Amino acid sequence: MEQTVNNPAQASSAYNFAYLDEQTKRMIRRALLKAVAIPGYQVPFAGREMPMPYGWGTGGVQVTAAVIGPDDTLKVIDQGADDTTNAVSIRQFFAKTANVATTEKTAKASIIQTRHRIPEKELREDQILVYQVPIPEPLRFLEPRETETRKMHALEEYGLMHVKLYEDISRHGHIATTYAYPVMVNDRYVMDPSPTPKFDNPKMDMMAALQLFGAGREKRIYALPPYTKVKSLDFEDHPFEVQSWKDECGMCGATDSYLDEVILDDKGNRMFVCSDTDYCSERQDAGHRGPQHHDQPLGTSHSNGKAAE
Amino acid sequence: MIPQPRTADLLRGFENAAFDSNAVFRTLLDAMAHPGRIYDLPLDVPAPAGLNKSATAFLLAMADMDTTIWLSPDCASNAANAHLKFHCGSPITETPSTADFAVARLDGDLAFIKKLPIGNAEYPDQSATLILQVEDISNKADMILQGPGIKDSQSLSVPGLPAAFHAWRAENHHLFPCGVDVIFAADHKIAALPRTTRIEIR
Ligand SMILES: [Zn+2]
Repeated sequence: MEQTVNNPAQASSAYNFAYLDEQTKRMIRRALLKAVAIPGYQVPFAGREMPMPYGWGTGGVQVTAAVIGPDDTLKVIDQGADDTTNAVSIRQFFAKTANVATTEKTAKASIIQTRHRIPEKELREDQILVYQVPIPEPLRFLEPRETETRKMHALEEYGLMHVKLYEDISRHGHIATTYAYPVMVNDRYVMDPSPTPKFDNPKMDMMAALQLFGAGREKRIYALPPYTKVKSLDFEDHPFEVQSWKDECGMCGATDSYLDEVILDDKGNRMFVCSDTDYCSERQDAGHRGPQHHDQPLGTSHSNGKAAE
Repeated sequence: MIPQPRTADLLRGFENAAFDSNAVFRTLLDAMAHPGRIYDLPLDVPAPAGLNKSATAFLLAMADMDTTIWLSPDCASNAANAHLKFHCGSPITETPSTADFAVARLDGDLAFIKKLPIGNAEYPDQSATLILQVEDISNKADMILQGPGIKDSQSLSVPGLPAAFHAWRAENHHLFPCGVDVIFAADHKIAALPRTTRIEIR
């Protein structure tokens, strides 16, 4: 046997910092460096069981655990919100195991772990966005066998993917795929942006922040280095388009953000509100008001609000 | 076979394995994400004969019993072998073609680099990382770099980089997605050259 690590420092109080043992973190870190060197390519890694179910984003949690250091400030969002059960428990997990600062402010975070959304606020070079990915393989629904999808990526055989998108057009008159809309990375790999809405795809293109993707169940890591070309697949006669809303955010009046529909009562009244809660509250703090904001007289809000028609 | 050293002869590794590994990894991640940008080594670590501080810190942070290390003849001192075996537990190979991490000096014989694993079309990640120990790195515009991780262009200078390196690197870049990623390791500074980076020599 080779002598293995028995450096006394390994037994110090920092052991199991961020939950994972040092060997597991090293293995994930090696995969991450490879992922950054080969943008959009899925690097296999020997994922570990985490103390939470797969649906909770164990892939993202493992990536964050390998990356996070004592000086980091962590933000976790689920949909666009910081206060869902999933986001809160992941944030608490790292506050406890890594003793790091946490925040709900996009601008204050050095690492942002997300399940569905890319924050509306433009990310910076000194930030890392970690995605929790359920299904990393964009070709999986076309071909269930991993050996075959590997081959397709190796040979850049992406024709079937285009056929699938074109079927959307012949059936619906437009590309109906709205989530996990496939992208071409650096003119080479087709990549699944995870369950983010296609609204967020353009933010991935040439983003200043490093983007890391972790899939726990399928044990894959992939990455987008900063300033990397990310193009949503489309056709000349049917160019890629993001969702847009006729309404503005009922709370902050934003017209440029991803809106969630909220049912207000059983009479069919509804409103639209920013899915990115930090973006929305920052706008409200800056004095922006939407038609349903509580500062408005309550009785008039519905008749004024376009969203409540 | 290298004789087992007495523990007392060994230099220390990281003072705190978790924090120091993380700090070095984050520097490497930044460097790989921003090809050609120069980063300071975030900590001081004793280096055995044959290795400089950056190369030593890289291996302490990234290598373990699952990764094979190849040291060029001018790096492979008894002290370096013993240090890596003790602190990383890594197997050390004599054949570059089996290396996960290869360490060499820029002024040494670079003929080995063509033998390093480049991965294959289905698993391009099964490739070696080359840690090239250099005297200095600067942002003098000897090389203009472009590619993922670089907004417009990035200048980089590694004094003494021979034509043979550039010839190999041009070939290597062509093999994408296969290829070898390079870390330029000066004593206290590092810069990365992932396989995606295009180099224009000035
Ligand atoms: Zn809003």
